[in-house]
Amino acid sequence: MLTIDSVSKSLGEFTLSNISLSIGDGEYFIVLGPTGAGKTILLETIAGIYSPDSGRILLNDRDITDVPARERNIGMVYQDYMLFPHLTVEANIAFGLKSHRADPAFIRGKVEESAELLNISHLLHRYPGTLSGGEQQRTAIARALVMDPEALLLDEPLSALDVKTRESLRAELARIHKATGTTIVHITHNFEEVFDLADRVAIMQGGDVIQVGTPEEIFRRPNSDFVAGFVGVENLFRGTGSPDGTVAVGDLRIRVENGIPGPVSVAIRPEEILLSKTALPENGRNVISGRVDSVRPNGGLVRVSVDAGVPFRVTLTRQGFEEAAIAPGDTVCLAFRPSAAHVYSPGEGEEA
Amino acid sequence: MNLKNSSYFRMATVAVALLIAAFIIMVLVGVVTHSPPAVLIECLLSEEIQFAIRLSIITSIISTLLCILVAVPVAYALARYTFPGKTVMNMLMDIPMALPPLVAGVGLLLFFGVSPVGKSLAAAGLTFVFTPLGIIVAQFFVNLPYMLRVTRSTFQGVNPRYEYVAKTLGCTDAQAFWRVTLPMSSNGLLAGSVITWSKGIGEFGAALMLAGATRMKTETLPLSLFLNMSTGKLEYAISAATILILISVISLYVFERYGGATHVY
Repeated sequence: MLTIDSVSKSLGEFTLSNISLSIGDGEYFIVLGPTGAGKTILLETIAGIYSPDSGRILLNDRDITDVPARERNIGMVYQDYMLFPHLTVEANIAFGLKSHRADPAFIRGKVEESAELLNISHLLHRYPGTLSGGEQQRTAIARALVMDPEALLLDEPLSALDVKTRESLRAELARIHKATGTTIVHITHNFEEVFDLADRVAIMQGGDVIQVGTPEEIFRRPNSDFVAGFVGVENLFRGTGSPDGTVAVGDLRIRVENGIPGPVSVAIRPEEILLSKTALPENGRNVISGRVDSVRPNGGLVRVSVDAGVPFRVTLTRQGFEEAAIAPGDTVCLAFRPSAAHVYSPGEGEEA
Repeated sequence: MNLKNSSYFRMATVAVALLIAAFIIMVLVGVVTHSPPAVLIECLLSEEIQFAIRLSIITSIISTLLCILVAVPVAYALARYTFPGKTVMNMLMDIPMALPPLVAGVGLLLFFGVSPVGKSLAAAGLTFVFTPLGIIVAQFFVNLPYMLRVTRSTFQGVNPRYEYVAKTLGCTDAQAFWRVTLPMSSNGLLAGSVITWSKGIGEFGAALMLAGATRMKTETLPLSLFLNMSTGKLEYAISAATILILISVISLYVFERYGGATHVY
């Protein structure tokens, strides 16, 4: 159990303001946020590189706030690997065990074991400069894991890799987490990593944690415009909620998942909306008619803008788009379930 | 600017560069080829030049080692930590480099000759004025800024995150420095040491002031060049100059080869 209790840290342009997080034993926890959100400082503070200005950090019921990094037994892996270039892969992995003056035979066994776990046994005698990005990152992970850390911190571990390597290493991370059961805190700005890896996610912005939940919760029930935008909710409307579970947006009255009275935001994911040229039956859904503004192919998907009094964005698969045979100017019918329309109160300080 | 003008411009700048290169080569080759080889070798083997070579090598190696010993911790502090007065200290450390060596020499002479510190050092048996020890101190004082600058920029070039990782792997600050930052800086340190040594072996002004120019006592290669020039023994002066040229060229090569991205200025 890793507990971050009201931790604040100011470090020039980057800050952490009163962060509290509780990460369970063996949990894979992802911290998601844009560049400059303070994610790396958070990890470096957990690792003991910086000591917090205020607040406490507890690891398995031990207060480690004032424990130096070398005595925390927390592993750290950076985006740029930070492998020691003057040491072989083997010596890199053995580095930490040598710090603790472990027995050479024990070190050899542990190094071989970690190298095997990361599939880099054949690279042990190479120098980091001769390895590919993926191999370097495997080495960096092995170097941290060989210490049997109580927590493993990953700072954008996949961001410097090409697409193919990133995917295979992402799968590796899932496998390693399963095999070792290590508590992992992984930070990234890439939402894709969340679904494959995370048990829970925290969203950070400007030094604050603004939402914590399962990937599904964050994805479908954002609590703010920032989170909604970050996870790709393209339909965000301001409206007035009624106690009967509807929200008035312009002339529309949308039935929603969670009714909150007063001024609210409604978030609807573009892929949750059904689109058809023929009228769609209600069946408890919101059915709205509008006119197609534009059609934009985007890789395997097609993005359609519809003017229904308010602008809607709908994402269709190419197959679905071809079957619907839609062109700009067509009158179309939009349908979505109330559960697809998530409502939250616009937070203070957010633009109205 | 049209194409024709720009190509004239290009020709003009390259021409100046070629002229200067030719000038430098003529000056150096002029020195090296002035004496017939037999005379050059005879001078090089003379007792006086042999003494100068020995004294130059010993003093410059010791002063370079002292520079390394001081520059490494100071450069690390300046590269990694923030502390009050750091900016002023950075400037202060560079002053000896901007100073004419003769001025540095006068300062050293006064410090070791008449100041209470100098007097008590002399009382304790450490005499720097007009002794070979003075040569070492003069070289150290004038050349420390060069070593410091190269070392500082080398340390700055090592991402502190290497040390962070080392600390999460059980290292103290000192161990992280010793096991990671120092070995990663070896090329820069080698380059800095070579340039410091080469400048030390050529140090004249400050050494002349503090250690004087006594034949066969404080006679390093540049002082030998000066003494023999003054007394008209041109062949001896030339042989000392030839060695200094060779040392400069070789050390510049080593510096460029291993210095990488480090800059003295």
